[in-house]
Amino acid sequence: MDQHLATAAATSIDAMPHQRLDAALAQVNEVLVGKNRAIRMAFACLLAGGHLLVEDVPGVGKTTLAHALAATLGLTFRRIQFTSDLLPSDIVGVSVFDRDSGAFRFQPGPIFAQLLLADEINRATPKTQSALLEAMAEDQVTVDGASRALPQPFFVVATQNPLDMAGTYPLPDSQLDRFMLRISLDYPDPEAERRLLTGENRAEMTSQLAPRLSGADILALRRQAHAITASPALLDYVQALLAASRKHHDIRTGLSPRAGLALLACARAWALLGDRDYTLPEDVQAVFVAVAGHRLIPARNLARDALAQALLETVAVE
Amino acid sequence: MKHRRVPPGTRDEAWALATLPFNLLCLTVVCVLAAHAPHMPVWYTAALFAIVLARWWQRRQEHRRVSAWLRIVLLIAVLAAVIAVYGTPFGREPGAAIVCGLLVVKLLESERLRDARMTVGFACFILMSALLFDQSLAFTVVVGLMLLPALATLRALEPGLPEDRWLPAFKTGTVLLAASLPAALLGFLLIPRLATPLWGAAGNGVARTGISDRMAPGDLHSLLTDNAVAMRIGFDGAPPPDSQRYFRGLVLWEFNGRAWLPGDAAKRPWPPAPVATRGPLVHYDVTLLASQQHWLFALDVPVAASEDAQMGPDRTLWSAKPVAQTLRYRVASATDYRLGPATLDPRLRAAALELPAGFDPSARALAERWRAAAGADDIAVVRDALELFHDDGFVYDLDAPPLGRNSIDDFLFDTKTGFCEHYASAFTFLMRAAGIPARVVVGYQGGYWNAFAHYLLIRQSDAHAWSEVWLKGRGWVRVDPTAAVSRVILASTGGAMGDVGGGGTSWWLPWRDRLDIVNRWWGQTVVGFDALKQSRLFTPFGIGHATAQMLGIALAIVVFLALGLGALLAALRPRDKPRDALAAAQQRLQRKLARFGVVRGATEGPQDFFARGTAALPDSALTLRALSTEYLVLRYAYAEPPPERIRAFVRNVRHFRPRRVVK
Repeated sequence: MDQHLATAAATSIDAMPHQRLDAALAQVNEVLVGKNRAIRMAFACLLAGGHLLVEDVPGVGKTTLAHALAATLGLTFRRIQFTSDLLPSDIVGVSVFDRDSGAFRFQPGPIFAQLLLADEINRATPKTQSALLEAMAEDQVTVDGASRALPQPFFVVATQNPLDMAGTYPLPDSQLDRFMLRISLDYPDPEAERRLLTGENRAEMTSQLAPRLSGADILALRRQAHAITASPALLDYVQALLAASRKHHDIRTGLSPRAGLALLACARAWALLGDRDYTLPEDVQAVFVAVAGHRLIPARNLARDALAQALLETVAVE
Repeated sequence: MKHRRVPPGTRDEAWALATLPFNLLCLTVVCVLAAHAPHMPVWYTAALFAIVLARWWQRRQEHRRVSAWLRIVLLIAVLAAVIAVYGTPFGREPGAAIVCGLLVVKLLESERLRDARMTVGFACFILMSALLFDQSLAFTVVVGLMLLPALATLRALEPGLPEDRWLPAFKTGTVLLAASLPAALLGFLLIPRLATPLWGAAGNGVARTGISDRMAPGDLHSLLTDNAVAMRIGFDGAPPPDSQRYFRGLVLWEFNGRAWLPGDAAKRPWPPAPVATRGPLVHYDVTLLASQQHWLFALDVPVAASEDAQMGPDRTLWSAKPVAQTLRYRVASATDYRLGPATLDPRLRAAALELPAGFDPSARALAERWRAAAGADDIAVVRDALELFHDDGFVYDLDAPPLGRNSIDDFLFDTKTGFCEHYASAFTFLMRAAGIPARVVVGYQGGYWNAFAHYLLIRQSDAHAWSEVWLKGRGWVRVDPTAAVSRVILASTGGAMGDVGGGGTSWWLPWRDRLDIVNRWWGQTVVGFDALKQSRLFTPFGIGHATAQMLGIALAIVVFLALGLGALLAALRPRDKPRDALAAAQQRLQRKLARFGVVRGATEGPQDFFARGTAALPDSALTLRALSTEYLVLRYAYAEPPPERIRAFVRNVRHFRPRRVVK
């Protein structure tokens, strides 16, 4: 994609984790065929230090994506199937009385993992949802007054089904803001679907995947992403987008400063994935709909992603 | 990426015609055919429409080219059809029909951008030629609007338009059309024009465009059912009463058994017959629409006329050149008059009594019986004839049955049905047979008084024929035998019939009057703006007669001023000020690429834009790639780019010359 512009100026990227990053991308692409862009988004989200919300109908590969990511990234993986009777303690863990020591001992819940798949997050009650979202925001959980840090890196992939609304508790707008990116996977194109139908069992493939990156690599890559140059011209563009979202007549609530930070972080991660050490307006454009789509509150009954796209088409680039 | 569907067999895909421009091209051709439809045979127009539709449908379905053989066959068919219909490929109507056919064939071979541009140019020319047939305001406006698809097609042929959106193309077309109006007006006023338009000579002098100089029973029928405007007359004072509204056109002396012709007597080089007037004269302006004929019309009987109109020996008015454009002339007429000298010249008397031998014996016999009964009383004979028409079962009907060789006998004793021509012809024949000098006059009678604008509107349907008889001591006296007919059948085919006076429903009349005011203004001011009027254009500035050189100089001055003003406005227009040297250089680079059709969208990222440019200009790809990388690095990889690199970039942009192999 950006190969022909792999720049002469890009010299500062540490080659080793970056090569492994490419290998990791390639490996996930092999399992999840025809989903290049969504996978890249997931990686950008990971490298920008955010959490990912995948919104799509069942069976298009949401779980496979999470599994493949976990196996490839070499992260400890847990999955929580959200249901309406799930309690906060089912996620964060409980303190149980240990008769031997005569004291309460903390039994950590499934949240103590590096990659957490929160499946059908909108099926749990708001109380349970907020326990997870608090952990996502703070990178720690508080049980019985004691704060416990979560393992690093900590990356949540939550999924929800946008169509089946019966018996669900849709995430309120303020909570949606905790997710850095919201993506969808969509149906595969005919060619990818044929490869899917004729290829091996995906679960089997996933189980055989070797880790391509380590937790330490990811933390190093995150530091690299954070160091990527965002020039004054680029910051102008980001600010113009934010300002436009606040002035647009079809938008009730525009993008928050936190959204602006997320946009910049994702654009930087996208530039890193493109093997560049500076951010281009194209990077911002590439991630904008995924960053802004779920954060915009439309004034009328309008599709949010379309609104984000329309916003992108009103702001001029230098 | 844009996806262009390319027909297989097109040599270079980049130059192939996309779907949207092709559809617009079809629309353009359809508009041209519609503009010419009024004068082409219905089946011919329908066939051309069908070919366009078939091609459009076929290209939509399978996107193949039309084979050269089929095109050649069509070409031959077009020529054959035109020759079959018109008998000749030359002239106005056949010519227009041929070029319409050629346009359709050209559409069939339009597969590349160059073809499409040529087709649009061709279509515009043919569209303009439709104005040779109709120069009314409404039609001119319609033709102007029909330019829109052509302009939209041209826009769609240029890059930078969303593939399947036709509205932006039409928007550009509308703006172009509106912007061209001042230039058109300027050209209209100042481009020196020929004294006679080029197509003035091409006109065919058939009765279709007005009254002809030959009158046979049935000839006027097509005129009497034609509602087209013939002329408009503005009177200085009150208009004459309806009974006096006879507008003299031609005097016909010679009868050959079938038709009335001017004859040698009408062509004698004599001064106008003397007129003794009683009472005040009527002064008026006539605005005659193009008739392609020499003869003009004046209220019976004209006494004096402006220089454009010469007075003939029979007090008919003539124009030196055929009336190819709207002609305006001024006349003074007497409604109460005595026409002709005291005694009729023997040669004229002979001409006014001459009848072809061997025709219409019964009519002659009847006239001789009248003469025998009346003795020397000419007026009694006239009265006998009028009584015959009034009392003997004669009927006024536009649907007159055909007449045989003895047309007068057939009419008088058999069919007894006809309109002004039949009556004027038979009456004049009877008078001559009875020894009274008589002649036929054709012209218009009646008209419609437009009370809003105070002018008399004469339509072709007001065409009329009457007689003049020589009565001793009274000169030539007008007798309208048609008026004597008591029974009138309104023909189903006709509109307003001049012979019997106007028609039309009342609610519509005021609106028709107002509309006709606009049409009169158009005819007098725009269509009638001829070389003479143009030469008087500068009269307010003290130049009585502007020569072609003066007009040319004026045109050059105005064009120069307009260009200067445009340049000034462009220079003063607030532009997005580049914020630094780097941005300025980048905008310069963008402008260079824009010249090759690579136009940057306002919200397009720089990398995407340069990638597009590199793909569009493969010959300059290497340089462009280096330049774009340098720009992206300078703009986005530095908080403060090093000045020497910016200077180098500015220099490189200045020296950059995009190249593209032009085919």
